[in-house]
Amino acid sequence: MDRGSIKKWLKAPGKMGQKYSFWVVYFCTGCGIIEIPPTITSRWDAERFGVIPVATPRQANLFLITGYVSVKTLRAIIRTYEQMPDPKYTVGFGSCPINGGMYWDSYNTIKHLDKYIPVDGWIAGCMPRPESIFIAVTHLWTMIDKGMATGYIKYREKYKNYRKNQEEALGKLEWPPLYPVGDKNE
Amino acid sequence: MQLITILVVSFLGAGIVYLTGKFSGRVRDISAVLVSLAVVILVGLAYNQKIYTNFYSLPFLNLSLSLRLNYLSWFFAIIVAGIGFLSILFSLEYIKDYQGVGFYYFMMLFVNAGMLGIVLSADFLSFYIFWEMMSWGTYLLISYKGGKAVAAGLKYIIMSVAGSLAMLFAIVSLYASYGTLKFSSLASLLQIASPGYILFLLLMFVVGFGVKNAIWTLHTWLPDAHAEAVSPFSAVLTGVLVRMGMYGFLLIMYSIVGLSLLHKLGYGLLNFNYILCWIGAITIVIPTFTALLQNDSKRLLAWHGIGQGGYMVLGIGVATSLGIAGGILHTLNYAVCGALLFFVVGAIEHRTGGVRDLNELGGLIKRMPVTFIAGLAGISGLIGVPLTNSFVSKWMIYKTLIMENYPFLAFAAFIGTWGTILSVYKFLHNIFLGQLPEKYKDVKEVPLTMQIPMILLSLAIILFGILPGIPLKVISGIEKSFGVEPLSTTMFGMPKEIGELNLINILAVLLVAGIVVYLIFSLSAKSRRVNQDDNYAAGLFVPRGKYQYSARFYDQAYRIIGPYLHDVVDDFYYWLVGKSKSSFQIVRQIYTGNINTYALYILLFLTLLIFVKLGWGL
Amino acid sequence: MIIKVISIIVLPLIALIIGFFFLGLSRKVIARIHRRYGPPISQPLIDVIKLINQESISHGKLFDMGVILSLAGSVILVLFIPFGGIAPLATSGDLLVIIYLMLLAPLGVALSGGEAANPNVSIGISRKMMLALGYEVPFLFSLLAVMTWYKTTSLVEVVKAQQSFLWAIFYLPLPAVAYFMILPAMLGIRPFDIVSAPQEIASGTAVEYGGRYLALTTIQHAFHIFIDIALFVNLFLGGGNLLTFFVKMLVVFLLGLFINAVFPRLRIDQAIKYCWKWPAILALVGLIIARII
Repeated sequence: MDRGSIKKWLKAPGKMGQKYSFWVVYFCTGCGIIEIPPTITSRWDAERFGVIPVATPRQANLFLITGYVSVKTLRAIIRTYEQMPDPKYTVGFGSCPINGGMYWDSYNTIKHLDKYIPVDGWIAGCMPRPESIFIAVTHLWTMIDKGMATGYIKYREKYKNYRKNQEEALGKLEWPPLYPVGDKNE
Repeated sequence: MQLITILVVSFLGAGIVYLTGKFSGRVRDISAVLVSLAVVILVGLAYNQKIYTNFYSLPFLNLSLSLRLNYLSWFFAIIVAGIGFLSILFSLEYIKDYQGVGFYYFMMLFVNAGMLGIVLSADFLSFYIFWEMMSWGTYLLISYKGGKAVAAGLKYIIMSVAGSLAMLFAIVSLYASYGTLKFSSLASLLQIASPGYILFLLLMFVVGFGVKNAIWTLHTWLPDAHAEAVSPFSAVLTGVLVRMGMYGFLLIMYSIVGLSLLHKLGYGLLNFNYILCWIGAITIVIPTFTALLQNDSKRLLAWHGIGQGGYMVLGIGVATSLGIAGGILHTLNYAVCGALLFFVVGAIEHRTGGVRDLNELGGLIKRMPVTFIAGLAGISGLIGVPLTNSFVSKWMIYKTLIMENYPFLAFAAFIGTWGTILSVYKFLHNIFLGQLPEKYKDVKEVPLTMQIPMILLSLAIILFGILPGIPLKVISGIEKSFGVEPLSTTMFGMPKEIGELNLINILAVLLVAGIVVYLIFSLSAKSRRVNQDDNYAAGLFVPRGKYQYSARFYDQAYRIIGPYLHDVVDDFYYWLVGKSKSSFQIVRQIYTGNINTYALYILLFLTLLIFVKLGWGL
Repeated sequence: MIIKVISIIVLPLIALIIGFFFLGLSRKVIARIHRRYGPPISQPLIDVIKLINQESISHGKLFDMGVILSLAGSVILVLFIPFGGIAPLATSGDLLVIIYLMLLAPLGVALSGGEAANPNVSIGISRKMMLALGYEVPFLFSLLAVMTWYKTTSLVEVVKAQQSFLWAIFYLPLPAVAYFMILPAMLGIRPFDIVSAPQEIASGTAVEYGGRYLALTTIQHAFHIFIDIALFVNLFLGGGNLLTFFVKMLVVFLLGLFINAVFPRLRIDQAIKYCWKWPAILALVGLIIARII
């Protein structure tokens, strides 16, 4: 932990701030949310890592996709993700967001979340233990340090493809595109 | 001569405007503006002059009608003329689609002229004549829209006549006792009158002026009248017409009776001024909290008109130099804020087709930014946010109450301010903030002639908020004429011996702090401008216009305080009306409406006379 | 003159540092009461640095201006409240001015949130207004008790009178207790965090804030903590020099924290009724005593 390193703070305050202050959007997408309350309360205390839950995506910079993603939830996930300000990080929690998990053959579950929004890291397991969230958080620190957690940049650059995938799964979306989707020549 | 010119211009101008209206609407509009502007200029030119003129001697009663000008009357005259001019200007577009516009302009100018007459007259006879002109003109203007407005006007005129009669009673008694009605001679004659007689006089005048100034228990006409009148006239009504009562209070209490006599009225705490203070305090608290329950924008402002009147009465009731100055200054400040807020409501009405219900509006800031800024200035002034005008006057009233050891009165004044904050914020929020309903998508900003009055008044709010020395200079002149120790003032606040208030320093640090914060703000990471309907909605997308919270804005507070705020006074008056209706049935049996019966009455009366004559003759 | 200018610059910085220290301390102390380890004391600072470097969204001009007004209003308020004998602007405004300047911060936030057009914001504002109406009653009673007792409206005079003699809390214990009872409501912390209840109305007025807006709001909150507690220390605990003043503030803050870390949140109507009951009665009795004696 280099939280006390003044040199690094002076060099890149934004990056250091991003690292040590993850505000998690308080949004239960699936059964994995049941692991979050013990994580943030007395038993495991996520606050010592600077991780606190917040109420709205406007304030958050970490999005935990906790559990399986149904088609209906996907709409809300995309909406929430788009409302989060840059820079923002996404972590898939549990095996369901990775490949559908035990719902691998369900007609109503999204199997590959990263087709619709960029995901910076995965926590495998069903359920993963709260400790694994901390491992994920510390791993995310390393990734931010090395400049590897760039999901939000990818989303901006490849927005056209993401939007296409989203509309394939959900039909026409009610809200306007976040970034311009047309070609520059148009 | 100057004073006669002012009155002649204003009365004759009203007539000319009416006559030109018969030929051309455009000429009428222009001449109305010109006449009201001429009055402003004439009154402005009379600044700092002391004039006394006898303009007509009655051939009987040994009375003469006379006019005078001093600081007090100039102060009120300039408010009357200024607000009158601005509301005429505002009316140009507002009133266009109504019936009988010529009559409207005539009455507006006539009422204005009546008010000028009131403040300029130097004896009670001319005072009373102008007072009645104003009252009846007001009645016609309140009922101008027809429908509900007729009932409101009737309520007003009944209460007003009751007040005038009380006043007339006092005036007649003054004439009977002293044989003169001149203010200046009465002021010296009354110094040797018995306290009982003075108290009787004051009570009668308090009823007369109290109806106009809407002090508590005499206030019930005001919400209806303000709500139903057309908005430019509501502005005149709340800003200056109601404050004629305030002028009356000042005239009778300090100009005629005088401070030394007032102090003799009563024993210990139970004296005239202390009771007046408590009436003022009740007038602050109950109406401002009643305003919290209103959903009609004009009615909400009307209740504030009553509540702010309470501050003025409280200020002059304390009878210290600071308190009287605060009360008078608050008259000016409220006239500016109140008129501005009614203009804002008028602008909203004009553009949305007469919508006054606060629950139906919303989000108009995107469409009417100038009106929003005017509204913001208006509510800040009404609350008394520092650097707006009412802050100074309220500060003076609080300060004097605390220094004179009246903490409970001070508490009433303070908590009234909190009631004001709650309700006027609701006013601003429900009209301008929140989401824009679909039906107001194409609303436009009001035309320039409606913007100018609002902008001018907003500037006045800021100007008097930073430089309270301008009006306070005139007010200390008024205090000198009352024989009260005049308030020593500086341009930007109060001198050290009165209290710590220096507005220019507050402004300076606020500006510096604002700039520093703005620098921090603009140097941090940029923000992206999003549309209003891109809102957090728990992951959902809510379509436009369906995401608004304004109805029952303070619901939990209503439930606690609502039951205590029933207007019992109004109920009492209605109960009285109901009772007297049944007793008037007896009278109606005498006045049958049949000519034959009346002929019989005449015959009987004549016979009676003949018998009496014969009886005496024998 | 130069000393004055320097103190005008330095005092807000001191207030900011103390405010952030209190914010961090409160998180740490509450964590320890919950038997957690808790974040480092510098965590609020880390959060603000992050927020300043994070992008955000804006709903319009008023959305920006409101936040700026709110913070600027809090910053200048610091200059009117004596801090250990330093009060650069105390001659420009007394307690009455302070009461009114306290309006600017909520007004700014309310205006800014209003343009965001989110009903959660509107509910938050309406709750803030109602809560303010609730706590202003005992607050004004206590302030009036002090002003009536010392026959002055100047805060500097109040402090001076206490330093030459006993503290006001010994003469006016009831208003002091009442002020202390409503302190969490003024600070907006539990059990009175009704205004920003994250679980009910998604953090109320701050629902659309992100990035720099939230950073400014956090800084404003730090100032706000400083102001409310410094006012208490000045009014009832007799001010002091820089060090004793800070110690007194710390004591008041920790006492409040210990009591309030263990309470759940009240409903808004319960909060109003609470404010109008015991604190108001205590302060009113205190005011009557101050008026009579």
